[in-house]
Amino acid sequence: MDAYKVVIVDDSSFSITFIKDILETAGLNVVGSAKNLEEVKKVVAETKPDLVTMDMTLPGTDGLECTRAVHKIDKNIKVIVVSSMMDDEIVKKAKKTRVSAYVQKPVDSEELLNAIQRVMDFEKLFESLKESYYEVYKEAFTDAMTRMAKVKPEMQEEYSNDLEHVSSGITVMIAIIGKFTGRLMIDFSQESARGFAKEILKREPEDNDEILEILAEFTNIVAGNGCSILNKKNSAYSLRLAPPSILRGEHVLISALNFQTDTAVAKTTFGEVKLDVGFKRGEEKWM
Amino acid sequence: MDVKLVNPFVEAFVNVMPMLGFQDVKKGNLSLKGKELNSGGVLIIVGIVGSVRGNVVYSFSMEDAKKIASTMMMGMPVSELDDMSKSALSELTNMLTANAATSFSNMDMLIDISTPTLLHGTNVSVKMSSEQVLCIQLIANDIPIDVNISFEG
Repeated sequence: MDAYKVVIVDDSSFSITFIKDILETAGLNVVGSAKNLEEVKKVVAETKPDLVTMDMTLPGTDGLECTRAVHKIDKNIKVIVVSSMMDDEIVKKAKKTRVSAYVQKPVDSEELLNAIQRVMDFEKLFESLKESYYEVYKEAFTDAMTRMAKVKPEMQEEYSNDLEHVSSGITVMIAIIGKFTGRLMIDFSQESARGFAKEILKREPEDNDEILEILAEFTNIVAGNGCSILNKKNSAYSLRLAPPSILRGEHVLISALNFQTDTAVAKTTFGEVKLDVGFKRGEEKWM
Repeated sequence: MDVKLVNPFVEAFVNVMPMLGFQDVKKGNLSLKGKELNSGGVLIIVGIVGSVRGNVVYSFSMEDAKKIASTMMMGMPVSELDDMSKSALSELTNMLTANAATSFSNMDMLIDISTPTLLHGTNVSVKMSSEQVLCIQLIANDIPIDVNISFEG
């Protein structure tokens, strides 16, 4: 296995040695251990592990409180509970506390290593999606616009944030669902929407419905092409699209999601068009 | 669109709302709408793929949105629809749709759902992809919530 950095949290020296032995034999890098909340905070902050194994019963604290402390330092650190206690109630609580897996003591080395592999593979998969998705959708956007409207958009501004969006007038939104869920939006003003439709039709659009249909189809093509490229890169993403929804109104605010999205503001001959896309890291479903 | 597709959403409402402090849960009217949904209040869209593909749009007035958020936050007064209230409402629709997904799986229909998108503004409209939208009104503590179901095929 890759030499992920691991911290072991357990109040029993025997258990720490036992787990450490399993992990090191498998090639993991055990960078520290902790027996109580104070030690957890200190060791995790100092060693910045990829993963923490967490006992549930600890003196003066418990595995859930310690998990929250770990995530307060870095929410991307994965926590796997390794505990003798395991019932529906505590598993439910662990899930709520964003624990990534639950292994019962006595520890079976294969079970623990499988759990670690599964959790870290999921993490790697998200990292690879995060590295590539923005460029992929941006290219799909540029490509579709160049082909359909014969207009090459120029990216004027690019940024990422997790703030609320203000629609420029017409926003087409498509939910992306798969191993990770995400959202793609393409935003037009009334003028840029009409101008875009006119370029494609080579005539004045008949009515508003005709314009909206073109925008929905364009967004569908961008999202669809982007997802196909990503799925080809790694079929484990298995991304699929919900149908497009067209949002309109005066000063429409579109909620921020609880994750970052990337925005490209494209300048075209018919005005400004915005592409916005992002994915949620999420947790793999377990049990 | 098959009317029985409404049932999982009704069941979800009956299951979920009492857990969030809404004791009085009723089913309102079922109606058929065109593809254009209008609202002066709050709309929340959740995407669906799997055995059925489409979107579900939850809608309520701004005043009702604040009341729902307030009840979910143990009666904390909500005068403005702030980030916390929006997050509560999004979480509500996530729970309702996830719960409906479980009911769908009992009907041998497997679906996956997206993260909710909440929008509000003046004269907001959402144009759905399906020609017809099935709307079931569900009522919690006298607050009406429209559940608009737009499924393809």
